[in-house]
This record gives sequence, C-alpha cells and structure tokens, in this order.
Amino acid sequence: MRKGDSLVAHMDWALFVTYIIMLIIGMATVYSVAYNEEHPNIFEYSEKYGKQLVWLGISLFLGLIVFLIDSDIYRKFSVPIYMFTLFLLVIVLFTPKINGASAWLGIGSMGVQPAEFAKIGTALLLARFISTVNVKQQNIQTVLIANAIILVPMVLILLQPDAGTFVVFTSFLFVMYREGITYDPLILRVINRIPGIRFKETWVGGHFIPILFVVVILSIVTLLMSNEVLEFSFLPNVKVPGFYSVVATLFIIALLFLIFLRVVSARRERGRATLVVVLGFSMAAGLSSMVNYGFQSLRQHQKDRIELFLGMKEDPNGKDYNRNRAMAAVGSGGFLGKGYREASVSSVRSNHVPESETDFIFCPFAEEWGFAGTFVLVSLYMFMLVRIIIIAERQRAVFNRVYAYTVAMILFYHFAINIGMNIGFAPVIGIPLPFFSYGGSSIMSFSVMMFILLKLDSQRRDVLQ
Amino acid sequence: MNLDARRYVILAFILMVGIIYTSRLFYMQVVDDQWVLRAQEIAEKRWEITPPRGVLFDRTGKKIVSNRTYYNLMMVEAEIRDLDTAKFAKLIGWTREEVCERFKEIVRGEGTYYNKNTGKRTPNYQKIRAYPFMKELTLEEVARIAPHLDNFPGFYEEVTSMRSYPYANGANIVGYLSEVSQEEIDEDHFYKPGDNIGKAGLERFYEKELRGRKGIRYIVTSAMNNAIESYADGKYDTSALQGPPLKLGVDINLQAYGEKLLKGKRGCIVAIEPSTGEILALVSSPSYYPNLMIGKRNISMYYPKLILDPNTPLLPRPLASEYPPGSTFKLLNSLIALQEGVITPSFGVACNKSVVGCHNHASAGNLADAIKHSCNPYYYAVMRRIVQQNRKKSVFADAEVGLNRWVDYMKSFGLGLTLETDITGLRPGRIPDVAFYDKWYGHHRWAFSTIRSISIGQGEVTITPLQMANVAAIIANKGWYYTPHFVKSIGENGPLPQYRKKHFSKIDTKYYDVVIEGMRRVVYEPGGTGRRALLKDIVICGKTGTVQNPHGEDHSTFIAFAPMDQPKIAIAVFIENAKGGGGLWAAPTASLMIEKYLKRKVTEKEREKTIIEAVFSYMR
Ligand SMILES: [Zn+2]
Repeated sequence: MRKGDSLVAHMDWALFVTYIIMLIIGMATVYSVAYNEEHPNIFEYSEKYGKQLVWLGISLFLGLIVFLIDSDIYRKFSVPIYMFTLFLLVIVLFTPKINGASAWLGIGSMGVQPAEFAKIGTALLLARFISTVNVKQQNIQTVLIANAIILVPMVLILLQPDAGTFVVFTSFLFVMYREGITYDPLILRVINRIPGIRFKETWVGGHFIPILFVVVILSIVTLLMSNEVLEFSFLPNVKVPGFYSVVATLFIIALLFLIFLRVVSARRERGRATLVVVLGFSMAAGLSSMVNYGFQSLRQHQKDRIELFLGMKEDPNGKDYNRNRAMAAVGSGGFLGKGYREASVSSVRSNHVPESETDFIFCPFAEEWGFAGTFVLVSLYMFMLVRIIIIAERQRAVFNRVYAYTVAMILFYHFAINIGMNIGFAPVIGIPLPFFSYGGSSIMSFSVMMFILLKLDSQRRDVLQ
Repeated sequence: MNLDARRYVILAFILMVGIIYTSRLFYMQVVDDQWVLRAQEIAEKRWEITPPRGVLFDRTGKKIVSNRTYYNLMMVEAEIRDLDTAKFAKLIGWTREEVCERFKEIVRGEGTYYNKNTGKRTPNYQKIRAYPFMKELTLEEVARIAPHLDNFPGFYEEVTSMRSYPYANGANIVGYLSEVSQEEIDEDHFYKPGDNIGKAGLERFYEKELRGRKGIRYIVTSAMNNAIESYADGKYDTSALQGPPLKLGVDINLQAYGEKLLKGKRGCIVAIEPSTGEILALVSSPSYYPNLMIGKRNISMYYPKLILDPNTPLLPRPLASEYPPGSTFKLLNSLIALQEGVITPSFGVACNKSVVGCHNHASAGNLADAIKHSCNPYYYAVMRRIVQQNRKKSVFADAEVGLNRWVDYMKSFGLGLTLETDITGLRPGRIPDVAFYDKWYGHHRWAFSTIRSISIGQGEVTITPLQMANVAAIIANKGWYYTPHFVKSIGENGPLPQYRKKHFSKIDTKYYDVVIEGMRRVVYEPGGTGRRALLKDIVICGKTGTVQNPHGEDHSTFIAFAPMDQPKIAIAVFIENAKGGGGLWAAPTASLMIEKYLKRKVTEKEREKTIIEAVFSYMR
C-alpha cells in the first residue's frame, strides 16, 4: 500500500482544491440559472441541476478510477486511446444532426460529445510522440507527424461541424512551440534553396506560433473594438474610440513587461529585453492600426460580411443577439452583483440570453456576483493555469510535461474564448466554460483530463527518464 | 535555442489575457453604466396601471362627468397562428384591406430606434409586444367579437376606462380628452403614446389633478415578454391612485336650462354667485353633445364636423368671444365719474340727439335716471369729464392723463386682462389705453372727441361675457370680487388658493348705491330699458345693452344681479344679432335664469316660451 500513501501524499493539493472550488461554484451557478420553483431540490433529476450533480458524481468516480490505474498506462496505450477517439469521431458523423451538428453519441439527454474526449486522446498521443523524438534533431518528418496527430481529429470535428472545438485544437500548437517543434524545417527547406543562404534556424520559424496567434488575436480584438466607443460615467463627454483603447492597452502591457523584465532578467540582457518589448509594442500597435484602418476603409457590404462573421452585426436572431444580451447581462452586474439567484437578464427562465446554462454560463455568474465575482473567477483560472505550468515544468518525463501543457493550453483556450465572447472580445463560438457549463461531456472530459494530470504528477518520482 | 525560456512566453500570454479580461470586466461592470440601462431595457419592464380619472360633481352633488368601461382589441403578432384575414375582417366588421392597413399602421406608428453606436435604425415594433388593434370598443361590440377570439390566437380584449357625461350639458365647460401628442409626451414623461390628456375646458385645466397617479409595477420579463416575477419583490412598485373628485360651483340644472333658453341663437349666459365667485352656469350656444367627443373613433368622426360648423360649437364663447359691451358699460363709466368727482348723483344732462343718437325719453336729471334711460348724450358728457379733467394745458396731453386714470379703474374690474379663471381658452378683451390710441392715431393726435364711442361701450372696447358677469358681481358686492372659478373643492380641499383672495375695485363702496338704484329703475320704473326682466317677488337690478355691429343685427345684452338686498346671483346674457336690442331678448332671458336659480321653478311661462321658441335666421 506504499503506492496508495504516495498518491495522497504526492498529489498536488493546490490544483486539486482549486478544481474542487471551481466545481462547487459551477454547480451553484447551474443551480441558480436553472432554478425551478416547482422543484427546488438540487437533487431533482428532472431539472438541469439534478442532472449536473449526476455528471459531477460520474466525473469524480472516473477520477477515482484514473487514480487507481497506474499512470504508465496512458503513455503505453496512447495510440489505442487516440484511435478509439478518432473512431468515435467518425461514427458520430453518421448520427442525425442536433442543432445543425452531428456531435452527439448516445440516447437523449445522456448523450456525450466525442469531440470533448478527442482532446484527451490527442493530448496523450502528442505527448507520447514528442517524448520519443529528439527535438534537437527534428526534421520535416517530425513536424509533419506532430501536425498530423492534431489535424486528423480537427478535420473530423470540422465535418460535424463544431467550429468551437476545432479552434480549441489549435492550442496544441502552443505545446509544440514549448517543446521546440517548430515550422523551422519547413521554412529552412524553402529558404536554403536560395543560393548563398545557409540558415540553421530562423527566428520567425521558431516563434511562428505565438507570433501567428498574437497577429490573429490582435486582429480580431481590433475588429471587434473598431466600432465601439468607450464612455466613462465619471468623465462625462469623454469618448474613447475602441481602437485607441486597444493601443492604450497594448502600451500598458508593454510597460508592465518592461518593469517585469527589469526585475527578472540579468543586467546584461536588459538592453536586449527592452528592445524586444519596444519592437513588439510598435509592431503590435502598427498591426492594430493597419487592421483598424483597413477595416474602416472597407466598403459597407464587405464590412457587413466581416461583422457577421465575428458576430457584431445587428441581427436579432443571429449571433450578435447573444453577444449583445450577454454583454448587457455581464455589464449590468455592477461591482457586487445583483445577488445569488437574482439574475434578471440571464436566468434560464427569462431566456434573454440563450444557452445561459451552457456556453453563456459566465453571464449569470457575472450578473449575480458582479465584478467581485468575476475578479475571483478570473483569478482562480489564472492560479489554476499557472499552477499547471509549474507542475508541467517540474516533470522529469517529457511525456508528463507535454501532457500537462496540453491541459493548460486547452483550459486556457476555453477560458479565453468563452469569457471573451461574454465581454465582446471574442466571436461567438460555442465552447463550454470548464467546470462551470452544464453538460456531461465537458465536465467529464475536463475532470478526466485533470485527474490524469494529477495522477501523472503524483507519480512523477517513479518515472526515471 | 533556449526552450525552457519559452515557458515565460506562454505564461506571459496567459497572464496578459487575464489582465486584459479583468480590466475589461472592470470597465464593463463598474465604470460603464450603459449595460445597466441595456439590461433594464431587455429584462425589466414597467407595467403602468392608469387609474380612472377623477370625477366631477355639480354644486348639488350630481355627477356630471364620470367614467365608463370600454375595451381594446389587443394583438400580439408572435402569437398569431394561421390568421384567416377574411374571416377576421368579417368578425370585426372591416374589410380585408382595412385589416392589413391597420396592421401596417401599428408597425409604422411605433417608429424606429436609433443606435448611436452603430448609427443604425431599427424598428421599435416588436412581434412579442401587445398593441391595441381596435380601440374603444363598447360592451356590445366586444360581446359580439370576444366569444370568437379563441379562433384567432394572438388577439384578446383588454379593459380600459373612458369618460362618460351623464348630462348632455356643459360641454364647453368640461372640455374633452384626446390622445396625447408627441410634444406633450416629450414635455411630461407621465404620458406614453396612446394615453389620453385633457385638451380643453376643465379636463385640461385640472389635468394634473384629474389624471391621478399611475400605478407602476416593475417586473422581470422573459424574452417572450411574459412576466416572470415582481422585480425586487415589489419593493419599488406603487399602486394606482384615482384623481380626487372635483366639486363644481356649477348648477347643472341651471346650466341645462340656460342651454335650453339659447337654443336657436348664438349667445352666452354667465351666472356667478357674487359672494364666492363660483360660476353657476356658463352657457355657450350653440354647443355640442359632449359624448360625441369621447374616444379616438368618435373624435376623428365628429371633430372635423364641429370645427367646420359656421356657428362654432367648439368655441367657448363666454370665455373667448370679445364683444363690445354696449350700454352695460355705462355703469362702469358712472362709477368712475363718481369716484373721480367729476359728477355727482344729481348731475343732469339734456338728451341732445345732435351729438349722438338716442331714443325718445325724458331728459335725465340725475345719474339713476340716466342709467334707467341709458341716455347716450348723458354718457358722452360723463366720459368727457373723465377724460378731459383740465389737468394739462394741451387737450391731447390732458386726454392722456384722463384715459390713463380711466384704464386703471377698468383694470380693477378685471377688464382688459385675462382673468385667472380655472379653465383654458380665456381671452382678455380690450380696454384701449394711451399706447393703443397712440398707435392708432399717433402721439398727441387724439382727445376725447376722437375716442368718445368708448363712453357707451362701443368702438375699441371689448370684453368677454365672463368679464361682464364679473362686473355684475362686483356691483352686487359693491366693490369687490373673487376671481370667477368653476371648482369649489378638490377632493377634501377647498378651491385653489387664488380663488380665496378678494380683489377690490378702485371705487368706494358708497358710490355703488346710486348706480344700483339706477339698475333697479331700469327694470322697475316706467321708461326703464329692461322692463321685460321684471319679476314679481324678486328685485332684479340690471342694465341693458344694444351693441351695434357692422355685420348684421345688433347684439342684445343684459347684465343683472338679484335679489337687490342680498345678491345671490349675478348674470350676463349676450345674444348675437338679436333684432330688437338688449331689453327685448337678453333681459327676459336673464330674468328667467334668475327665477330658475332662486326659486327652482319658472312662473313666467309666456316669457319662457317666447325665448325658447325664438330661432334666429343664422341658425336655420
Ligand atoms: Zn337720451
């Protein structure tokens, strides 16, 4: 029973407790949103909170099983697990469409979404693959295999279609970036054809992924903000165009980085760090202004098309409808909120915000608890993500580390996109808020993901690699 | 390649998003308040409950304005299923085209909402909201339609309250209600489109009292617009409160009698209780049937007819028609001359018809007889003494001084200015002053001889019948008056404070006696001009007037009060284009009103019959 003792002793309690706290808050929010006076009992199975409790129970039970299985099994069986999830992704395409997508397997309300579990399969196989290669000697084949592991489920998910989960799969690119699997071999092959050039590595190729993401995110945020005008209740007659607020935010972030780097980096690296930040800021601001200028100079019908795509267009039945109402619900929360179960815009009963118990569950939470609540929630997520990265970096096994990073990045994606679409920073793509949104698939897959991580971490000393 | 450092890139990424989201949340939730308003627009709704308006009673406690229940046919487009427009049109008695047109009208009528952030306009009309499809249905109409509404989902009936006038009289006093205009909504947020507001008469003047307090319920609504629950457990809700009842000084029976007397004639009767200033009756003839002006449907049908009628039934003549007062004005000139000391009661003037026309009578040897005979040359002499007091060398400058003094006296009788009576549509009349004549003839280009026609109440002088009645009341009171008013109590309270304030004329009480004696002689002495007003056991003091006017027959007017010792009623009668002068038509009409009011019955049946049956040519 030495193993059992070590399980508890070596488990990362900080992460586990954060996870449990989030489950409790999430459950309380589902109860508040879906509250039905006729069945106030939280265990009432006919209500959504009753079902969610069952899902929580199943999730914790699955977690227990995960803990009892030797962690090595995930590495060993990563290929069959991956293939199994792919198999489910193929089967699900032949099911009838519900809400326009073939995403559900199972009967009635007890259905599951294979795409949620495909994340775990992909994460495990990617970890396995990266742990077997020497990134120092990566070649085109390495890059292509790593990308293929991600791309196959992505394509299958896009066929459902499920744009949200599709986007989430790009989070694996960050993991590859951390592990040094870059697009450099591809870029070098092209560049080194040019006579007289012989690069060993390129900065762009190495940092391709974060740069790409900064470009994409900054563009989207600039577009979303380009029509907005910020006003301040304590500063009457001051109106800040959305674009300026983007640049101002970038500037503040750059300043924070400068201060941060001055504290962290060694004296001799300071000059270079400052240069990087200044360069980064000017490029980001330049990009943002280009996007803004480009958008403003578009013709109206082109603008309309982009606005429709990003969900900004005034379409009472369309995406913007949800976004507008969601923002009204969040913004009306005030500092301390309207009080538990007092959400007037985003309760399920009022139905002003559709999907307020699933994809838009942040709304009722923000409306009921105000900024005090959302600050705590964002902080909890930040703590959890940082904690997972700390855990990742202390692993001896590459497999464990890669897996931990995939968990961190998937959670980060869900967090960023889900809350982003509630505050007007992200287009409306339906993905759940981990540990909060109502729904068996997401709560189970995130829990299993979390428990595998906790299990791997608790056994990190057993692994000698 | 330092891969370990890349963890910082990822950490930075995550923390950056965390910081940006936190600041955005802080901005949205704490700094910017547009979202609160937006959320209220979305989820909270004020349900306004409009109370029935306050009711009106006459001085004897009879309800003269009350409320009646009507119905609206409401429509919610989102709930309409497979509407058979032909069948529906048949049910409500319209054509299909009218139904379609009405639907478009509702959509258009809601206007559009302008979003300042995006610069776009979106229609205010919402499919999920209820709109009145047909308004103001009677019980009979709704009883025919309502049982079949089950076949037309999306339509239902709703109860509303509307005015009802149990008596067909006093339309020009109470006024009417009509839908609020956009300007009225903008000015006072009490109203929303479709609400009614007083447009004329007491309904308008006492709008704020009569409308009461709207009840407001704040409710949380769902996307389908149905109420879910009270907002904050009803903490901010207020209940509807009906406006207080108004008790009028009007005697509805006297009012009805007056309207009966003036049938077939254009004219006015105003009766005032001198001791209180309460208006007992205010007859404007011709008038209209007040129940015609209830509700949008009726108003749109009858208003154009009424407004185009050449006899102007909508015009409240006693308040708004400015007539030359004619010989009744001689009473005031007598009082002013006495007060100024330019004549004494024994002042006499030979009736010299070469100056101005007069009828045949013995020359007046004193003031009372001059009033009795209404002698024109006498009043030329009186007025000359008022205007030309030889205070200045220049006759023109002297006339200026005299006229100024005269105007001051007139104003103290409430003439040439708008009385503060509690009704809308009042006109001031005109007491010509120095500025007026300077403009007309030029500075120092006029004197008494230029303006002499004002001595007999002709020419530039105009006053309204309400002011004439008030003059009668002032004489009855020997020098003071309360502003004539309709409402003697608002709920538990008395009249408005401005009606508890006594106004005094600038004439000493002692000078009234001789004028009153003259007024008695008008009715009770042989040769008096108002003999037809004579009553056997009530002493009426009066003064006739025959107003020449260029547009046809003379107007006939008479002002009076009775009884002589303790006046209970002061009255002015004005009948337009009545062939035969003040003594013939206005004086007997006034006497009938006085008898009706003081004795509750009329003994002079012959006199009554003559007046009622008289129909003047312009009314045919
Ligand atoms: Zn004479």
